[in-house]
Amino acid sequence: MTQRIDPVRLEIFKNLFHSVAEEMGAGLRRSAFSPNIRERRDYSCAVFDAHRNVLAMGDHMPVHLGSMPASVAAATAALQLEPRDAALLNDPYAGGTHLPDLTMVMPVFEPHANAATRRAAKTSRRPLFYLANRAHHADVGGAQAGSMGLSREIFQEGLRIPPVKILERGKVNRDVVNMLAANVRTPIEREGDLTAQIAACRIGERRLQAMLTKYGRKELNIYAQALLNYSEAMMRAVVRELPNGTYRAEDFLDDDGISESPLRIAVKIRVKGDRATVDFTGSSPECEGSVNAVRAIAESAVFYVFRCLVDEQIPATSGLMRPIEVIAPQGTIINALPPRAVAGGNVETSQRIVDALLKALAKAAPHKIPAASQGTMNNLTFGGMESRPGHPPGPFAYYETIAGGMGARPGFNGVSGIHTHMTNSLNTPVEVLEHALPLRVKMYAIRRNSGGEGKYRGGDGIIREFEALTEMQAALLSDRRKKGPYGLAGGKDGKPGKAELNAGKHKQILASKGAWHLKKGATLRIETPGGGGWGTP
Amino acid sequence: LRIAIDTGGTFTDCVFLRHGQIEILKVPSTPQNPSQAIAIALQEIAGRFAPSSIAPLDLICGTTVGTNALLQRRGGRVVLVTTAGFEDVLEIGRQARPKLYDFFGGRPEPLVPRERRLGLRERVGADGEVITKPSSRAIQALIRRVRRQRPDAVAICFLFSFANSAHEKSVAKVLRKAGLRVSASHEVLPEIREFERTSTTVVNAYLLPIMSNYLTAIEAIACRAIRGSATRTKTRVQVMQSNGGIISASAAAKEPVRTILSGPAGGVLGAEYIADLAGYDKIISFDMGGTSTDVALLEGAARTTDESQVDNLPVSIPMLDIHTVGAGGGSIARIDRGGALRVGPESAGADPGPIAYGKGEQPTVTDAHLLLGRLGRAALLGGEFPLDLERTRRYFESARKSAPAIRNIEQFAQGILDVVESTMERAIRLISIERGHDPRDYTLVAFGGAGGLHACGLAAALEIPRVLIPKIPGGLSALGILRADVVKDYSQTILQRASPSNLSDRKLQAAFHRLESQGLQETRAEGFARSQIRIQRTLDLRYAGQGHSLKLAATKNFAAAFHREHERRYGYSDPSREMEIVNVGVRLIGATPKPKPSRRSATKRSATLAIEAFEPVHFHGSSIKTRIYARARLQAGHRFDGPAIVTDYSATTAVLPNWRATVDSQANLILSPMPRTGRKP
Repeated sequence: MTQRIDPVRLEIFKNLFHSVAEEMGAGLRRSAFSPNIRERRDYSCAVFDAHRNVLAMGDHMPVHLGSMPASVAAATAALQLEPRDAALLNDPYAGGTHLPDLTMVMPVFEPHANAATRRAAKTSRRPLFYLANRAHHADVGGAQAGSMGLSREIFQEGLRIPPVKILERGKVNRDVVNMLAANVRTPIEREGDLTAQIAACRIGERRLQAMLTKYGRKELNIYAQALLNYSEAMMRAVVRELPNGTYRAEDFLDDDGISESPLRIAVKIRVKGDRATVDFTGSSPECEGSVNAVRAIAESAVFYVFRCLVDEQIPATSGLMRPIEVIAPQGTIINALPPRAVAGGNVETSQRIVDALLKALAKAAPHKIPAASQGTMNNLTFGGMESRPGHPPGPFAYYETIAGGMGARPGFNGVSGIHTHMTNSLNTPVEVLEHALPLRVKMYAIRRNSGGEGKYRGGDGIIREFEALTEMQAALLSDRRKKGPYGLAGGKDGKPGKAELNAGKHKQILASKGAWHLKKGATLRIETPGGGGWGTP
Repeated sequence: LRIAIDTGGTFTDCVFLRHGQIEILKVPSTPQNPSQAIAIALQEIAGRFAPSSIAPLDLICGTTVGTNALLQRRGGRVVLVTTAGFEDVLEIGRQARPKLYDFFGGRPEPLVPRERRLGLRERVGADGEVITKPSSRAIQALIRRVRRQRPDAVAICFLFSFANSAHEKSVAKVLRKAGLRVSASHEVLPEIREFERTSTTVVNAYLLPIMSNYLTAIEAIACRAIRGSATRTKTRVQVMQSNGGIISASAAAKEPVRTILSGPAGGVLGAEYIADLAGYDKIISFDMGGTSTDVALLEGAARTTDESQVDNLPVSIPMLDIHTVGAGGGSIARIDRGGALRVGPESAGADPGPIAYGKGEQPTVTDAHLLLGRLGRAALLGGEFPLDLERTRRYFESARKSAPAIRNIEQFAQGILDVVESTMERAIRLISIERGHDPRDYTLVAFGGAGGLHACGLAAALEIPRVLIPKIPGGLSALGILRADVVKDYSQTILQRASPSNLSDRKLQAAFHRLESQGLQETRAEGFARSQIRIQRTLDLRYAGQGHSLKLAATKNFAAAFHREHERRYGYSDPSREMEIVNVGVRLIGATPKPKPSRRSATKRSATLAIEAFEPVHFHGSSIKTRIYARARLQAGHRFDGPAIVTDYSATTAVLPNWRATVDSQANLILSPMPRTGRKP
């Protein structure tokens, strides 16, 4: 930290950049259409400097945190973004994570007082900032409604969008929207959500331009860089507190949904002074099914875990990652190559990467690290045709994730029925769900005694049971069905999760990953894993 | 005699009229038993009147009893009855965690633990159709289980009870017959979203016992105050609600959840009243106290929201849209490990208090003001409360050493003020710019102990062109309560597609009529004739498929108004999309008698008569010899330029350099930047 940086201004600019991201998020949530965005808040917004460093992230979804810079990099590499343009993308192999996450990237230029100066400066201008927002859309086409099922290659997972301009000079590119609408199951809802994403970009642009007018680009730049240095200094202080050494751990995904064999996440964390290297060498090769992750997801998980070690409220900027190097060998399950299927990498593999990282860090700082939480998001999708009397007929696609048990912490029990680590999406209220979709929720309860025993008990999972009121397709992407989340320091493992389909006479325990046809009246019961315990009971 | 009482953390303020003039009495609060301070105040006030002129006596209370009981978890023992299979909705909440990056975080314990959440086999569907009717045997068994828990109150919330309340009604009836206090969700909040409705209903049940005890005590005190002619009919106790209206004590005892933001609501109404008299209808109220600050935006009348949370528990009934931030005069400043100066949310409170009070050891916002000379002559409460400047200097010297970039303690102190002002600025942004309002169109009404010290700086940062400091910054909340009307809100979720002809739709009209007839009956019970009651109808609208709705007046042009409002809030609208009516709402207003404002004609004499000292005061890096004015001696028509400090019994105002102050005909201070002034660098 240099002497010239005023601690007062630093705090003020930190608040300003953060509030831009939060404002974008509030606008997106309030005007979005799908329950997944408006009720469950499965979105993120962020502000970047001209060099594509994150300056501020809203307190949204951790899994988006480390992966949004890749979107900005991909958009700017592929397109020449002009003022009032915005790029849209979802290609996991070009700045995305999995296909349902549609990301928008907008450049922000210096505002000009009048049109003449604007014309004069047009050619030489470069963006001073970038804004991005990412929202999980309930369907982007592909083999299964909800686009979150089991696939063998990305082409089955939905429409793949490389960076394209959705906004050109402030005008919506209808060609792109029409192309997208023609490839998804619920085009009207998609268009509504895209409009809300565009509106969020514009909210951010207005705020940043007002800041540019007020403080000037020079001052904003100085403090943007100071903010990055500030986060870096914070992270260095935290890493320095870890004892020097090499900490190894591994954890496993149950399977890829196609073969039965477990998939290894191996991690080696080397701490030296105020730097750390996180090496995933030794992780399983990329797999047949859809739990492959791209590199940005591995980085997100590392980012998240180290961010949690910082006990102060600090901004989630790219500076946090400067002292940390990530080694993610290509062709493995944490850095897959096209055309592998990736729907579950973002939501399942990301959680297991966190589990492996925490297991390793527990060796370095046993009293700062919790036992494993549920380690899955229990991704559940429904799709079909509405046929209830009194409801407008038409296709529907719905996506949700179900919370589970939190791992026990040294000194505290784990919390029951709560989202942990890489996600923090809300539930869809039962009353909103049943109003919007031909589903009835039969039970929504805490799964008693599913948390691991210990001096401190793991949190309990959840039981959520649905009845299909019309024929439909259901798909599940989940994990921790074979072995429960690990306990630490002598604590017992939490109970693994379970899913059961009951169609009258037939009762069937479902695999962790797959798609099923539900007849009218069939019930689907999901029991989510409990968290691991901490300490000998 | 009408007396408005605002019970705060430190003082209990009473405002009443004597000979047509507003009078104020401040007595120390008695947090252990808040009614005690009220008894003391009443005795004192009664002494100022002839015994015969006291009855009929109206007491109107702003109370923190509900909020405190929630924050300190001192409410009643509640049993919650739910649809079987959904007993845990209260605990799971929305399944998210409040803090994203904290392994050790959690969420607040539910107000009702697992063993007191009981399920009943019953079910209503999304369209209000009965799927499972509860058997009378099941209900009888339930009652036995409830009684075994020996509850102080019972909350009932069944799925879709807003669409069909029959099951809730029958259970509530049986429980009430059994002599239990009941809070049923279809009565408290008949709106969609089971967790928020359950939470609100439970909070209501949780506060039932404590609030009814409190109100009984106040009623007894009121009766005692009119001793000789003591009959209950001659006293009336009313309570301020969070929505900015008052209700009778008996209504408040049934729905205590409506009183949670009672005190801050009074402040907003007070600000609205003062600003209205002064001729400003667009205001931002800014009430800065010791530990927290309340801000609200008013356009004519105050706005309400139904998305509030108290201590992370959702309370979805209409409340004035007041945003509270955990920063005030007592907020503690420190340099963090990354080298940034942080202020709050930790507060030195009243004990140990700021360094200057003699016990505290950590720099606070109040200390920073003292160091810079902003508090006038180093004392508060008109000199009764001395401040230790030397002690403050010593502690600041040692605290600033952790930040080499800070050259001296004055720079440190100024930094603390800048940071706390940036927190306030963010709060005001949130309620203004973020919701599509431009602060440049507003007047900042600043009050509370510290409001006047930050008003100019904040106004400069947000380009607010004018600041109003009321004549009685310390008693404004009580004044607001004195002025408040009786307001009753009713709502009902209907969820139907909207077309412009919808207003004549039978189902819609029936919903309005039902709410209105219930409202009229209950408002008449507060002592109003039909002709004295105003009725407002609202619609909560959204585009079909959205989750968040906008509240609009139910007028013929509601559709156009909705598209306009959506455009303003979110930057786009789409008249071709279908709209949906989520809730219908009805508000009934019964007007209460208002004190008449007194106006003073402008004095011709110079303001120099009000100067009581010249002292050096620091403003952004330089020390300037500054005039210190006594507020009590300022008269209508006085005008003077900053820099200046205006001291008052309960509050101090700082007029920054390049700002001008005038005293208006109601003795308010009006501050505005002088022409040709650039913005703050």
